[in-house]
Order: sequence, then C-alpha cells, then structure tokens
Amino acid sequence: MLAALAWRNIWRQPARSILSLIGLAFSSLLLVFMLSFQFGVYDTIKVGALGLLNGFGQFQPIGYKDDPDISRVLPNWHALMDATKINGVDAATPRAASYAIMANGDTSFGAAIMGVNPASEPKVSTLASTIVEGRYLAQNDTAAIVMGAGLARNLGLKLGDTVTMLGTGNDGSVAADVLAIVGIFSTGIAEIDRQITQMPLARFQDTFNLGDNVNIIAMRSRGFNDIVNAEPALRKMAKDAGAVYLRWDELQPEVRQLITLDLSTAMLAYGVMIVVVVFILLNTLYMSVLERTREFGGLMAIGMRPAQIGTMVWLELVFLSLLGAGIGIALGAGITVWVQEVGIQFAGMDEVFRQWGISGRVYPSLSLFTATIGPGIIVGAIVILGLIPYRHILGLEPVKAMGAA
Amino acid sequence: MPDFTRRHLLVLTIAALVLPNMALAQDPQAILRAAFDNWRATSSHAVAEMTIKKASGTRSLTMENWTQGGDKALVRFIAPARDAGNATLQNGRRTYVFNPKLNQVIQLPASAMSQSWMGSDFSYNDLTKTEQLVNDYTHTLLETRRQNGHDVYVIESIPKRGKPIVWGKQVVQVRDDSVLLREDFYDQSGNLVRSMAADRVRMLGGRPYPIEMTMSRAATPGAWTRIVTKSAEFDIDIPSYLFTRSNLQNPR
Repeated sequence: MLAALAWRNIWRQPARSILSLIGLAFSSLLLVFMLSFQFGVYDTIKVGALGLLNGFGQFQPIGYKDDPDISRVLPNWHALMDATKINGVDAATPRAASYAIMANGDTSFGAAIMGVNPASEPKVSTLASTIVEGRYLAQNDTAAIVMGAGLARNLGLKLGDTVTMLGTGNDGSVAADVLAIVGIFSTGIAEIDRQITQMPLARFQDTFNLGDNVNIIAMRSRGFNDIVNAEPALRKMAKDAGAVYLRWDELQPEVRQLITLDLSTAMLAYGVMIVVVVFILLNTLYMSVLERTREFGGLMAIGMRPAQIGTMVWLELVFLSLLGAGIGIALGAGITVWVQEVGIQFAGMDEVFRQWGISGRVYPSLSLFTATIGPGIIVGAIVILGLIPYRHILGLEPVKAMGAA
Repeated sequence: MPDFTRRHLLVLTIAALVLPNMALAQDPQAILRAAFDNWRATSSHAVAEMTIKKASGTRSLTMENWTQGGDKALVRFIAPARDAGNATLQNGRRTYVFNPKLNQVIQLPASAMSQSWMGSDFSYNDLTKTEQLVNDYTHTLLETRRQNGHDVYVIESIPKRGKPIVWGKQVVQVRDDSVLLREDFYDQSGNLVRSMAADRVRMLGGRPYPIEMTMSRAATPGAWTRIVTKSAEFDIDIPSYLFTRSNLQNPR
C-alpha cells in the first residue's frame, strides 16, 4: 500500500523525477564505465608488463630473487613443470640465465643471457612476437641467439652476424661461445632491448656447464586472474620441491605500486563525484518534501500516521535511486561491453604505454564489482541520508502543516 | 775542513737512512705506498695457485702473472686443463681477456669490471685497483699495534670526493716491514662487505711477502678465494711486448 503510493507519487511530478533519474543514471553509468575501464587498464598493464618476459608467476630457487646467480639452480625442475596440470596454469617454460659479455671485435657490452626452450617459451613470454628482423629461436637451433635492437646497434651487428659471448660458468670456469644472430627484437623498452639476449637452453647448459639444471620456471595463464587463483596450489608445489613461487607483484613490484598509486588518486576523484551526486539528489528530493508539507498535513488529517508518511517518502527516494542506478548500470554495462569489443585507442600515448609492454589500444574489464560498487554506494548513501526527510515528517502537525505555504 | 765535510756527510747519510723510516712511521699514505711497492715492486713475475671455495665445491687454478708499474698486469692460467690458456691483460684502463676456445681477445666493457674474475671473489677491478687506494683516498692512521714482534699500522682510507669508488671506506693493516696484512672493504653505509687477509708471510724473492692471501665476503660465509704465491721474482726486466694485445693472443 505505502509502496504503491510512493511509486504513484514519483510519477505525479514526471519532469522532476525524470531529471533526477537522468542524473542518477548518468552518474551510475559513468562510475560503471570508468571503474571497468580503470581495472581494464590495470589488467592490460599486468598482462603486458609480466607477459613480455617474466611470465605471470615463477618458480625460483630459494634466495634467487636477491642473488640471481647461475649456481642457484631449481631443485626437481622436471617435477615443477607439472604446474601446467594445476587448473588455471596454461603454460610453463624452463630458463637458465646469467650475465655475459657480448663482443664484436673491440666493441663489447655486458648483457643478460637467457637459455630458453624455443618450443615452450613463446607460450609464456610475448618477446617472440616483438621480433622485427629475422625470426625467434627454433627447436633445432644450436649456436643461435636473439637480441634486442639496442644491443645489436651498440655492438654494430646485424642479422646473420656472429657475436662472441664470454661469461662465467656454473663451476666458475670461463663460459665462451660464438653465436649467430637469428633474430632481433624491439620491445620498445630500452632496458630490455639493450640488455636481454636469448639462446637455446641446451646450448646454454652446455656452454655454462650447467648439466641438466635450470634456474627458473616461468608460467602463464589464459586470464591474468587464473594464476592468481591458483597461487595456493603453486606455493604448495614449490614448497614440496624445495623452491619458492613468486607472484606477479613479487616479480615486478613496480607494477603493483603504479596500480596502487593510480587507484588511490582515482578513488579520491570517485569519492568526490559520489558526494556531489548524492547531495544534489538529496537537495532536490528534500525540496520536494518541503513543498509537499500541505499535502502531508491533509494526509494526516484523514488519518495517516506521520511514520507512514515518512516511510512513504523514504520509499519514493529508494525507488527513485534504485531505478536510476539500475538504468545507469544497464547502460554503463552495455557501453562497457561494446568498448570491450572494440577497445579504445589513445593517440599519443603509445610511448607511455610501451614502457609497460602494452600497445596503444586499451580494453575495459567489466566485472560484478566494477558494475555495482559505484552505483551501490550512491544508492546506499541516499537510502541512509533519506532518513532526514523522514525525521522531518515525524515532527509535522496536521493543522500547522496544512497551513504551510 | 775536510774533516768537517766528512762528518757532515756522515750525519747526512745517517739522516738519509733514518728519516724516510721516520716519515714512513707517520705518513699513512707513505706507509701504503711502501706496502704496495713491496707487494708489486717496479715489476714482478710470479706463479701462484688460486683456490676458490664455494658452497658447491672447491676449485684450484694455477696461474703465472707478470706486473709492471702500477697499471700493467698479465695473468695466464696454466692449470687445470679446463682453464689453461685463459688469460687476462690489464694495460692502463683497458682490460682484455683471451679465451683459447674462441681463440679471441675481448676487451671488457667498463660495466663488466665489477664482475667476478674467473669465478673467484676477486673482480677484474681488483687486478690493478691497488694504485687507486694510494692516490684516490684520504688516509688516517688509526692506531699502531704490536703484533708478533712487529708494529702494525691500522689505516683508515676514505675515498676523496668525486672519485668513482664503490667503497665507503677501507681499513688497511700494514706491518712495519711494509707487508700488507689485511684490507677490509666497507660499503657506503659502513657495513663490512669483504676482507682480504694475509694468512702467511714468508721471505720470497728477497723480501717479506704475504704468500698466502684470502679474500672472503661478509655475505657468503664459508666461501672464499685464496691465492698462494709459489714463487716470485721482483724488479726484473720484463720486455714491454709482454703487455700487448698481440702477445695476449699469441704468446712469444
């Protein structure tokens, strides 16, 4: 009965109600889209930054993170490759790594050299897709190397040239090799293009006297969150093998820092927006309550109790905000889903994005959380602050109210 | 008159003999200079064994080395077979490495100078950085200690402003007969990073010499690198072609 009255009352002032609804719906829509977009950017950054080289997670020997020495090898690494059997982990690849001097005649530069499995590596790392000249390592390569465009340029080498590599083997002896450049990659990240080189794992193990050992296993999942969900299983697996599992934010803490920083400033902006929207709406609604004092007096005169009237008015607010938020969520989700298909191109942002290993096109990521949290807070605030007109109505007396202007 | 001259001369001679030692006892830089002169002389030729102890195992290498002045050094490994033939040459600021498998000489980039030398606790920098300690640091004599019948000078050396030095300070111990006993390396925040200690001092090539020296790192207890000098001759004539690139690749 009260609900029906409240619903009818909303449409007795259609112009005002529709304006309120539009305001509510529009701010809800904005919140849904902006939050989805923001989380989409975060996912893109995570996938881009970690997918390029590190993988979404890694098994490492204990202590390797602080002192990545080639002599710290992964115990039971063949058993750890079974991580792909864990639900959510789609690919795993073994790697060995060291530091070496790359030389061409009298020109030489220090660089990281990674021994990788040419078959499984591209399933984990997107480095292979950034090859600009030649090709990535292949299964039957032996004395082959791929290096970044920056290092190749510094060394004065081109595709097909040979580079002399001088490093220190696992046992401390000299590890030296001559390798032919089969591919040159350009990730756009200067440090990687200047400092990373890769060669076939078997040849690496041979040259660096590593036997059958590897240093790390890098992993990837289809969706970024799949591997996050698989973390307890991965941690247990690592512990059983005598190794450690490193999560994405342990591999690249700067990515998490960037996200936290960005999110906290964004939250401030969203907070301000929600406060403004809520107060504008409450102001309109409270004004309409004050205008209707005469009407409420009449209702009381014919026997309606103030608490009932208050509840009716409060229900009007609740219906209005629910309806507005509902429309906003529907429209916002619709727009977000559409943009998820096509993406948004940011002109001129390529340089910034490339540092994080992502292309210029960004896709929002709609979830239950991003769709409901913003509008939910608005509705919640209105529902709670709507108790102010309720209290106002409780204080009304029929005769005075009917005489009000 | 001739008598006076003779006596005068005698006094001068005694003064000349005694004074440098007195100066040496007071000036920490001179103490260090004398210690490095004693260590490397104007030239030297030595055969030494380097033992590298790591958690994973122990490795022994035999090397022959030549030095001239403060900035020329050639080290050639002669055993075991796996490492024999590898050689390192330092001439001034340039460092070259020869690898017999590649049959190639590689000039090291500056960024590689702090890397481990032949898997040991020494870096390429350590091969000739001794001169830097004498010249690029400000030295203070902390104390003079009596030890095994010798005076031992404990000297604190702090890098001069603007010098490209990774250490925060070094504490060096030198015996009164110019034998380098100990060198402690500290980082910028004053933590001990590594130490080189003379374990045995014997007469070698006509001078007191730290024939056994051990380098250890604070971060890796149980791992160390020991260099035992088997034989050495000092202040000898070394042909200048020895320290050339072509000699590094094709020894005469």
